[in-house]
Amino acid sequence: MCCSHELTEKNLQPLTVNPAFLERIKGMRFFDPHIHMTSRTTDDYQAMADAGIAAIIEPSFWLGQPRTGIDTFRDYFNSLIGWERFRASQFGIKHYTTIGLNSKEANNEKLAEAVMEILPLFVYKEGVVGIGEIGFDDQTPAEEKYYRAQLELAKEAGLPVQIHTPHRDKKKGTQRSMDIAIEHGLDPRMVIVDHNNEETVQEVLDRGFWAAFTIYPFTKMGNERMVEVVKQYGSERIMINSAADWGISDPLAVPKTAALMHESGIDLNDIHLVTFRNAISAFAQSGQINESDFEAVKEIDQSLKFNGSTVLRGGQQPRRDNLSNIIK
Amino acid sequence: MDAIYHYDRNKISTLLYSIIQQNSNQQVQEWLQQQKSKLEESNATQRFYGTFTAIPRFTGKNSIPDTTIPGFFIHGYTLDRLARMWWLLQLPTENKDQYIQTIEGLFGAADMNEQIALYGALPLLAWPEEWKLRTAEGIRSNIGPVLEAIMLHNPYPAAYLEEAAWNQLVMKAIFTDKPIHLITGLDKRANRKLADTLRDYAHERWAAGRTVNPLLWRLIGPFIDEGSFPDIVRVWHSENSVERDAAALACAASTYAPAQQLVKEISTTTLSWDSVAARIA
Repeated sequence: MCCSHELTEKNLQPLTVNPAFLERIKGMRFFDPHIHMTSRTTDDYQAMADAGIAAIIEPSFWLGQPRTGIDTFRDYFNSLIGWERFRASQFGIKHYTTIGLNSKEANNEKLAEAVMEILPLFVYKEGVVGIGEIGFDDQTPAEEKYYRAQLELAKEAGLPVQIHTPHRDKKKGTQRSMDIAIEHGLDPRMVIVDHNNEETVQEVLDRGFWAAFTIYPFTKMGNERMVEVVKQYGSERIMINSAADWGISDPLAVPKTAALMHESGIDLNDIHLVTFRNAISAFAQSGQINESDFEAVKEIDQSLKFNGSTVLRGGQQPRRDNLSNIIK
Repeated sequence: MDAIYHYDRNKISTLLYSIIQQNSNQQVQEWLQQQKSKLEESNATQRFYGTFTAIPRFTGKNSIPDTTIPGFFIHGYTLDRLARMWWLLQLPTENKDQYIQTIEGLFGAADMNEQIALYGALPLLAWPEEWKLRTAEGIRSNIGPVLEAIMLHNPYPAAYLEEAAWNQLVMKAIFTDKPIHLITGLDKRANRKLADTLRDYAHERWAAGRTVNPLLWRLIGPFIDEGSFPDIVRVWHSENSVERDAAALACAASTYAPAQQLVKEISTTTLSWDSVAARIA
C-alpha cells in the first residue's frame, strides 16, 4: 500500500459480468491498426485492454474541424508521439502512430505547405510506423499534390503508407490512389489501402497491396459483411480495424469481429492473421514494431508509475466501478 | 574547463562515452563517431536533430547498470538514453543564442522518450541558468516517466530552481506518488512555505478520509512549531506504525522543545527516512 491511492485487489479485478463475445475470444490478443484515441475516453482504453487489444496504431487525421495554423498541427503530432502514447501505456496498450497530412486539410494549400515542412521532424520518431492516413477525400488537385509529396517522403524514410480511400466515388478513388503509388515507385507491399469494401477488395489484393477493412457502424463495413469477405477472400494481406473516432464508432470492433468470425466457424489461424498478425507484418516494415514491447509496456509503466507496488499488476489503471453510484 | 559549462565537459563527455563503449558493440560506436564528425560539416542543426531522434534505431535500448559520475547519478538508464545524453554534449557552444534555440527546438518536438532524455540531461546542459523555465514547464507534464526524469536522481532542480518552482516540483511529486526520497536536495531545499502547504494538503487528505504519504513529514520536521505540532502528535498516535516512525523522525529533525521531548520517548537510532520509504514502497 502506498500513499494517495488505497487500492486493493478488488479494484483491479475485471468486471464479473462479461459480455458473451468476451468469453468467445478469451485469451486472444488483438492489434487495431487504425483508431483515433485522441477522440476517445479512458473507459474505451479500459474496455480495449479487457478485450485483449495489445497494441494500436493511431493515424494522424482530421480532428472534426479544420485547423487554422501550423502550431496546432505541430501540437497534434506531438501529442500522438507523447501524451497519447503515455495514456495508452497506462492501460498496458502499446501505442504506435502514422504521421501525415490528411486529405481534407490538404485543400488549405498555404497550411499544407507549412505542414509538409514540419513532417520530417516527426516521421523518424520512435514508434512512427508509417505515413498516414493520406490519400483522397474530394479528389481535388491539391489533394493529389500532397498525396504525391507524402509518397515521396515515405519512400525516402523507408516507411509504409496508410491510405485513406474516399467515401464518395470510392472505387475510382481507390484505383487512382494505387495508380499514383505505383507511379511513384512504391512497392505495393509497403502500402496499406484502408476502408475497403466488397467492391474494392479484389483489385487491391490482385495488385499486391494490403487490404484493410474498417468495421464502423452505419457508414463503412459491418462485421457480418466482414465475415463473408474473409470467407470469400481468405486471410492473406487482409486486416481489420475500428477507425474509432469522434463519430458513432466502436473501439471494440476488432475483438467483436474476431468473436463473430469464431462463431461463424472461421479458422482460428485466419482470425489471428486478420485481427493481429497481418497488421504487424505490414507496419513492422518500418522497423519500429518490437512485439516484446507489447508485454514490456505493462511492466515498465507499472514500475514507473506505481513504484513497484505489488498490488498493481499488469500496469493497469485503478478501476472505476461503472456499476456503482459511489465515487471514491 | 569551459566557462559556459559549470563542470568539466570534456571529462564528463569522455566518461559517458566510456560507459557507452562498455555497453555497446563496435557498430554502434562507429555510428556515433561518424555522426559526431558529420556534425562539423554543413547543416549542423538538422544533423544534430536527426541524430538525436535516430539514436534508438542504432543503439537499441539495452539497460545500463546504475553508476555515479561526478555530481550525477545514472539510474535506470537504457543505452539510447545515455547515448542521447552524450550526444547533447557534442552540440557546439560557440553561439549561445543558437545553442539555446537548438536545444529548445529539441524539446519542442520531443516524443516521450526524448523528453525523458532531455529533462534527465538538464544538469549537463550548457548555460545552466537558462533552463529554469523549461524545467518548470516540464514539471507541469502529466506524463509520469517525464516527471521522474526531472524529479528523481536529478541534481538540476535543487541547484537552480527558484523556491516557487522547487515547491511545485515537490508537491507534484507527492501528488503523483513519486518516491520523494529519491529527489536530489530534498532536505537541503526544505522551506517553511513548502512545509505549510504540505500541512494544508495533509488536512485535505484527512478531511477526505484518505491517507497521507508518511514521507511528507520529512519536509515538515525542521519547521515544527506550535501550529504544526498537533498534526505531528496526531501522526504520532496513528494506528499505522510507519506513520509513527515518520512522526518520530520529523520530531528528531525539529528544534521545537515539545517535539524534542516527544522524540525522547523512543529511540530513533534504528529509524531513517529511507527505512520509511522502503516500508511503503
